[in-house]
Amino acid sequence: MRLFLNIIKLDYLTRVRSYSFLITLCASLAISYTFVPEPNASYSTIRIGDHVGYYNSAWFGYVTATMTSIFLSLIGFYLINTSIKKDIKTKVGQIIASTRIYNTTYLLSKVFSNFLILTTIVSITFLMSIILFTLYNDGFRFELFQFIKPYLIITIPSMFFLSAIAVIFEVILGRYSVIQNILFFIMFSFSLAVSPQSEMRYALDVFGSKIVLDTMEQSVREVLPLEEDSEMTIGYVLGNTTKAKKFSFEGIDFPSYFLVSRLTWMFIGILLVGLVSPFFHRFNMRDILPSEKTVKQILPKAELKDINLTQLPKLQKSTNILPLVRTEVFLLLRKGNKWLWGLNAIGMILLAVLNIEFAHKFVLPILWFLQVNRLSDLTTKEVENDVHYFSFTSLRPISRLLLSQLFAGLLLVLFLALPLTLRYIFLMKFNVVMFIIVGGVFVLFLAAFLGIFTKQKKLFEALFFFITYVNLNQIPFFDYFGGVSQNIDHIFYVFTVIVMMAIAGFYKRYYDLRR
Amino acid sequence: MKLEIKNVSKRYGRKKYGVKDFSLTIEKGILGLLGPNGAGKSTLMKMIATVNKPSEGIILLNKNNIVKDVNYIRQQMGFLPQDFGVYPNLNAFEFLEYMAAVKGVGGVGLKQRIEKLLDGLNLLDVASKPIGKYSGGMKQRIGIAQTLLNDPRIIIFDEPTVGLDPEERVRFRNLISDLATQSIVILSSHIVSDVDIIADEVAIMKKGSLITKGKTQNIIEQVKGKIFETQFDTDVSPRFSDHIKILSTTRYQGKTTVRYVSEVPIEKSTPQKPTLEDAYLYLTHN
Repeated sequence: MRLFLNIIKLDYLTRVRSYSFLITLCASLAISYTFVPEPNASYSTIRIGDHVGYYNSAWFGYVTATMTSIFLSLIGFYLINTSIKKDIKTKVGQIIASTRIYNTTYLLSKVFSNFLILTTIVSITFLMSIILFTLYNDGFRFELFQFIKPYLIITIPSMFFLSAIAVIFEVILGRYSVIQNILFFIMFSFSLAVSPQSEMRYALDVFGSKIVLDTMEQSVREVLPLEEDSEMTIGYVLGNTTKAKKFSFEGIDFPSYFLVSRLTWMFIGILLVGLVSPFFHRFNMRDILPSEKTVKQILPKAELKDINLTQLPKLQKSTNILPLVRTEVFLLLRKGNKWLWGLNAIGMILLAVLNIEFAHKFVLPILWFLQVNRLSDLTTKEVENDVHYFSFTSLRPISRLLLSQLFAGLLLVLFLALPLTLRYIFLMKFNVVMFIIVGGVFVLFLAAFLGIFTKQKKLFEALFFFITYVNLNQIPFFDYFGGVSQNIDHIFYVFTVIVMMAIAGFYKRYYDLRR
Repeated sequence: MKLEIKNVSKRYGRKKYGVKDFSLTIEKGILGLLGPNGAGKSTLMKMIATVNKPSEGIILLNKNNIVKDVNYIRQQMGFLPQDFGVYPNLNAFEFLEYMAAVKGVGGVGLKQRIEKLLDGLNLLDVASKPIGKYSGGMKQRIGIAQTLLNDPRIIIFDEPTVGLDPEERVRFRNLISDLATQSIVILSSHIVSDVDIIADEVAIMKKGSLITKGKTQNIIEQVKGKIFETQFDTDVSPRFSDHIKILSTTRYQGKTTVRYVSEVPIEKSTPQKPTLEDAYLYLTHN
């Protein structure tokens, strides 16, 4: 038990003490600030027709808890899905493997430390919801229980189940991070979209959000004439020019079966971890490494000879960045499994043959998202591979090396989008072509910017996943490639974000190198 | 060629120093850097290699301040860090071409130079295989190859013999000796004998400061007449007074031999010829 608790504690402390976690917390704080819009804001998060709830404790508590449950489940997976991988990298895993700890105990300790990480982020959004209530005070009484209740019943069980799922995915698909990402994406979308019409349907909702949203919708329907629109929208919807009407939402008396279901989801998580534990590799390197890198196949040893230094040809100074770009392209192309290029080829064919609007809206963002592993370490791979001593002492590391990395990344994203771009060029729709190019640049600079700031790839992976998801759901706020709206103003907005990221990223890299 | 390190400090936090007020002048030849773990050897080397920036002080190479003008040294430097990595998906050729570009060198001779280096390091046969498949010693040789790519005039080796077997260490020492005929070579190692054999000068560091620097013989002189050995039965546990510093203990056929340093020998001791290791242990433990 002591070892179990120690692993949880140490794992948790190691992760929260990292710089990237601090950045993640800041991002969570900023995002949770937007969960309940300021009364005169031009966007909405949860809105039923023209209605939003009175800004009372229940509305703040339930809206922020539901938003946290949905959105943190979406991006949280990426923040916690490498807890076992970290033990492999630091080689702590091999020490753990030599102890008496059971596989199940070790895996459960990972579930709990994942859960603590997510709970820390949840507690930030919880505090923010109280701060927002105070800021936007509409004269309603502060009721702490209306804040605690939805977080406890909706958000916390979701986070626990997600923590278990992340560990299960690592055990089963540890070698295949791309498959993990795709599978989770499908699972997430499926669980949000499917709504069985049985009596106990809310019990099947792992995120626990449907009961809240349906109750809110019901509350509006009760006060609305039948013909009036009461369609619910969730997410960041821009351009709410009409002032929202208010309705009273006083929280939910959750049925007992629903409360039991929340505990059951947590129990199912533990049970699934127990079921997969016999398949855990327990840090056996043969199981972890891809087959071509196993010890057996390491090349034979060769002796060092004498080198006559005077006979070596002399070299000239050269500031040509093409060799750097070429190598960066090689690194991008060779990253990940080869079969992913099969998927890329299919994606490019679909961009060429499918209905152009559909290809633009759905195929392109998915195709770009499939490159998440290639792009995420664009500016962090030096440190990850311990090549930074060479790279950061290179001749003009920003104007040559960083630029070549960006250039290579741009070649990749634009190459993948080429079939669609050519179709738009033939149709003379140059503004859309411009949007696609700007979109590619955006993805690239987002990867570079977040990599430089966090020195890790996690935040980009999580954020890119989130952005792709909202784009597939046609939410215009995060449309970076003209898939939802091709308004020319929007292109300037995306371009401004790119310029800001570029300035901040270059300056930060310059500052880091100077230090 | 002259490298001057003037009052250089690297501070972590308000009072914690990695290197403190360090001054040293190095000219052509090999400087061996010795010191226990945490002495600041790697920190000092990283500052010379412009990986880290000193908190205080300046480093001059041929009168150019390389703390400010980093590119001056980068173009003529070869650096082999203690814990470097490689891009596992590149092969040796590609990695070295990349490193040449990183260092800002190229031209028609590049391919041939890489080929000759790989041949000398006996990696030519496996040069087209991804480096990810190489063993630790082979990766170390790739590191050595990248150090020599740009015909460096100042070469910094941080624990270069890690991963090399005894025979390879001998060859590597020969290589370093060749390099030192026209360059400054700074070499740190835990293996005192490596430094003893090849270094023209030795600097010993402790807790971030330089405690001595000089020709190997001059350093050894500091313990001349102070090294002794005594022998006793293994089952006897004699007590040594505080002024005696034990350097090594060996047991053989029921006898224990103790090598120690002291101004005054204890009974039944025989004087011994001092080595650099004796001097190093004496100086770093005093």
